[in-house]
Amino acid sequence: MQYLANPTRFLKLANAVLPTVWVITLLLFAVGLYGALFTAPQDYQQGETVRIMYVHVPAAWLALMVYSVMALASAVAVIFRHPLADVAAKTAAPIGAVFCFLSLATGSLWGKPMWGAWWVWDARLTSMFVLMLLYIGYMAIWAAIDEPHRAAMVARVVALVGFINVPIVKFSVDWWNSLHQPASVFRMGGPTIEKSMLWPLLVMGLAYTFLFLALHLVSIRAEIAARKIRQIHIAEIGDR
Amino acid sequence: MDFNANHVGFVVASYALSVVFMVGLTLRVLMRDRKLRAEAERLEAQRRKERA
Repeated sequence: MQYLANPTRFLKLANAVLPTVWVITLLLFAVGLYGALFTAPQDYQQGETVRIMYVHVPAAWLALMVYSVMALASAVAVIFRHPLADVAAKTAAPIGAVFCFLSLATGSLWGKPMWGAWWVWDARLTSMFVLMLLYIGYMAIWAAIDEPHRAAMVARVVALVGFINVPIVKFSVDWWNSLHQPASVFRMGGPTIEKSMLWPLLVMGLAYTFLFLALHLVSIRAEIAARKIRQIHIAEIGDR
Repeated sequence: MDFNANHVGFVVASYALSVVFMVGLTLRVLMRDRKLRAEAERLEAQRRKERA
């Protein structure tokens, strides 16, 4: 990890792996969407509506995973003073926020025909909504504080304290009575979902993960350039 | 997929929304990266020129 603390080394690695990551992402989406739309069967109760699962569930997984990445990066920034850790956390947030929004929006589109309501203040939905607010709050801190070091100090606290919500989202369906169905993939005793529906879901989950990886690497590279521009401007002011 | 099934509009809307937001996010990230790297390179070249 210390090896990648150097931005030059990180950029070299990112530039080398990015083309491969993009190709894998596109292949995974092609296979996953084919499975989701053409080979996976209808559900015996939900019919075609079950296909929303292949975009809703990976978005929800990634919303949780990206927030966990932000919390981990923030912890690394606090403990090891890793120069790129704050950059990693900051650049992950907008990507995670989009996944979180998509999870809520596609969930709502699934809820209307299945539950008869666009939204209910259910434990899973509410905790996911809180996650969306945490993403917005985290991004607002970076936008509101001009000095990156000060912004990072406050943002780390939000990322680390907000991480409490991640297990609450995950286990909300077990801890409280919920309209939302319990976990059927990542659970003790293995998945309960039929294999013909499971593999497209897992491939779509991998596709979303690789998309995040590609976007995150590009965003970190852009943020390093933004900081370089800032340093040049500060040096110019110093020269005058 | 049966496009005549019940509630199929909700399925299409979910996929359309996902595609629009993910493609939009990807384009935004790529354009920001391109713009900032070009600006950083331009400023660095300018500084090197000034120092020379």
